[in-house]
Amino acid sequence: MAKGNDGRRIHPGVRRMTAQLAAGRCDRREFLRTVTLLGVSAPAAYAMAGRILGQRLVDPLQAAQDAPRRGGILRVSMPVPEIKDPATFDWTEKSNCVRHMVEYLTYTGPDNVTRPYLAERWEASDDLTQWTFHLRRGITWHNGDPFDAEDVVFNFTRWLDPATGSSNQGLFAAMTEEYDTGEKNEDGSPKMGRRMRSGAIEKLDDYTVRLNLSRPVLSIPENLFNYPTAIVHRDFEKNGGDLLAWPVGTGPYTIADFAVGEKCILKRVDRPYWGEALEDPFIGGPIYLDEIHYYDHGAASAAQLAAFASGQVDMTFEVGKDSLQMAQSVPGAVLYEVTTAQTGVMRMQVDKKPFDDPRVRKAVQLCCNAEVYPELVYLGRGTVGEHHHVAPIHPEYFPLPRFEPDVAEARRLLAEAGYAEGLELTIDVGNTNGPWQQQVCEIFREQLAPAGIRLAINVMPAPQYWEIWDKTPFGFTSWTHRPLGTMVLSLGYRCGVPWNETRYCNKAFDEALDAAESTLDVEERRRLMERVERILRDDAVIVQPLWQPKFTVASEKVKGFRAHPTQYHLFHRVWIDA
Amino acid sequence: MLKLALRRFGAMVLIMAVVSFLLFLIFESDKLAVAGKVLGPYSSIEQRELWLEKEGYNRPFLVRYGEWVADALRGDFGQSIRFKAPVSDLLWPRLANTAILAGLVFALMIPLSLTLGVLAGMREGSLLDRLLSFLSIGTTSIPEFASAAFLVALFVFELRWLPGTSSMTGGFDWRQLVLPVAVLVLYDFGYVARMTRASMAEVMTSPYIRTAVLKGLPRHRVILGHALRNALIAPFTVIVLQLNWLLSGVIVVEVFFAYKGFGALLYEAAMFGDIYLIEACTMVAVFVAVFSQFLSDVGYTLLNPRIRFAREGG
Repeated sequence: MAKGNDGRRIHPGVRRMTAQLAAGRCDRREFLRTVTLLGVSAPAAYAMAGRILGQRLVDPLQAAQDAPRRGGILRVSMPVPEIKDPATFDWTEKSNCVRHMVEYLTYTGPDNVTRPYLAERWEASDDLTQWTFHLRRGITWHNGDPFDAEDVVFNFTRWLDPATGSSNQGLFAAMTEEYDTGEKNEDGSPKMGRRMRSGAIEKLDDYTVRLNLSRPVLSIPENLFNYPTAIVHRDFEKNGGDLLAWPVGTGPYTIADFAVGEKCILKRVDRPYWGEALEDPFIGGPIYLDEIHYYDHGAASAAQLAAFASGQVDMTFEVGKDSLQMAQSVPGAVLYEVTTAQTGVMRMQVDKKPFDDPRVRKAVQLCCNAEVYPELVYLGRGTVGEHHHVAPIHPEYFPLPRFEPDVAEARRLLAEAGYAEGLELTIDVGNTNGPWQQQVCEIFREQLAPAGIRLAINVMPAPQYWEIWDKTPFGFTSWTHRPLGTMVLSLGYRCGVPWNETRYCNKAFDEALDAAESTLDVEERRRLMERVERILRDDAVIVQPLWQPKFTVASEKVKGFRAHPTQYHLFHRVWIDA
Repeated sequence: MLKLALRRFGAMVLIMAVVSFLLFLIFESDKLAVAGKVLGPYSSIEQRELWLEKEGYNRPFLVRYGEWVADALRGDFGQSIRFKAPVSDLLWPRLANTAILAGLVFALMIPLSLTLGVLAGMREGSLLDRLLSFLSIGTTSIPEFASAAFLVALFVFELRWLPGTSSMTGGFDWRQLVLPVAVLVLYDFGYVARMTRASMAEVMTSPYIRTAVLKGLPRHRVILGHALRNALIAPFTVIVLQLNWLLSGVIVVEVFFAYKGFGALLYEAAMFGDIYLIEACTMVAVFVAVFSQFLSDVGYTLLNPRIRFAREGG
């Protein structure tokens, strides 16, 4: 086993990546991302890339900053939902409210590179089935308790307990097993559930934990910066399982005032923050802001923008595409655009009529000419979708041959499936992410018509859609950005995972995804993704017309802010210019 | 008169009883759905059943309804699902906020619309009458969401004079009330002014006004002493009924300006399917609707002797 200069072991993958970068077989971003995942610190990774590529690489934030100022309040307009239990978070806004209070083992920066956070470093076994996390020493909870391995073990155990109802079950499926719940399904077959495998997490000492996986998984560090993976205190449940009633975290801020639908006020905790001594471009160094205020002006970006225009807030959570020009017209406004893997899918439930017939699903998919959507919906911004939920900005993206819409073939398939006279479909759309979703459905309705499919669009309020998002036979669901394509596929398309809204279950797909997720080599992994993408696209469970760009606006007084592709807020380095 | 008031009051109670029963039937007859709402989409059937047992949901429907009514009469509407707080704690401050908004709207709208209506109705067909009619029809036919967007574009984005939202996050700020009040007054004053104008114009053509004029009374005494009192009977009813309109009409305005009032609360409750909150808000809205109707009926009878005589004679 290779060792680095400091005597620590270096994953053999790092050497392979170094060779690949030197040979031009992977790009700088992929290199940084992969070697940091394998335990190389971010500054070292930047330095290595700099040496190989002969570039002078500056810490991304340092170059941009002039003398930062301490103090001040950052006011943000963002919906303020209920935030009791981080493990069950299902909205980015929820995690933003507490992101500076409860922290994560790792974090993925706005540059899509994952770095250490509460964990100081980590190693993976060569076969990627064992991940050892070394926790930082000297971090204390707001109540004075030291942060250690007990906390991490508690969180994993809680996430993977089916009673918690956390979507982390899907993220860490390799730590779980199927078991017989002792109950029966309606058809008399035993009802199966998922729970944590015994020995899936081991406490090696007070500051070291090891995850033992049933199959290789590459994205463990990235999975640890998903919105429901914030680490809570080991006594969280003993104290009511409610973050508001017992606001104890490790971060620089704590909740001082909170009202659902109104505000979330965060204030600096009255003790030194461990991260101030950390060298890191996004979370290390002095904390500047005294307070962070979130104010709820509703989910509509027009009200957020009105609050911003009149100086009631310094920043908005999001600017809708229809308000871009309006936002730019505000004096002193700085518009931030970020390319994302956020998207929406028109997904069909494979166990409900008529979508239980693959020919019907294929026919629906064949009607979609995705090329027109970015232009019609985002005025030329955004990226064309390919019906397999892996974005071109994902490192493992494999470009399949272009998807050719074919209305004649769609008609033939429909006739074969017994719908020669045409088919009536209704899609539920909740505009959970803005009216663009309805617009997409309207365009698709026109594209379906020539094949004899008449689409009715059932528009409903967003919260109502979230009640039925995994129940409706045909619905439009928005999915947020994740740094790896495999992450969403694991969450949403594996057999039986909680967020599998299509009820899709294909062992061949799961195996192909397992293979891709267990492969470190970028070229090799990308090659394996071809099969994953192809199976998902050919099985036609989703129609995915496009990938969204995201916008936000902040006052020019807000310094040091970087827009994150997942709209996660990281305000450690943000300061307000007087 | 007392008999009439009692009869009206009885009808009011009956309406509220029927509405409350329907409301309870719609929202709480499916027990498992209630438990699913409260415990969230990931809760298991077993968890829901345990909860139902614990909360006494397994008792007969009518027993539960009776208890719900008794609690509601005491002001206890249960726990809001979305806000995780007692409904009554949310309801009264929000109602107070809406009362502030509505009070201001009334304080501006009533004198404005009555003055304009009387001025226009005094001389039907005059230039002033035509001008005011044009203005009031124009403003009334623009819906609140459109005038709100227009006023925000002008005063927030263009001139930068006024705040764009009215959440009062930093404490009470009268500037934040300007736009919501302006939108509501703009929408409503025209309607009341038109009613006043019509009533005034009718009175001005009545025989006793002609008599007063022919008697040689000065014009201002004819208007103030004879015409006005009678001309204001019809607008009174309309104004009282605006109470009801304000309670529902403010939803658009409150949501647009993120004003934390009753309308926005009802909207959020409906959007999130927060059943206990919806029940409470609906009952309050129904109460205001029937109570304003009651006030308007009784008030109209008091003001207009013709109705009283007709009823007593019949």
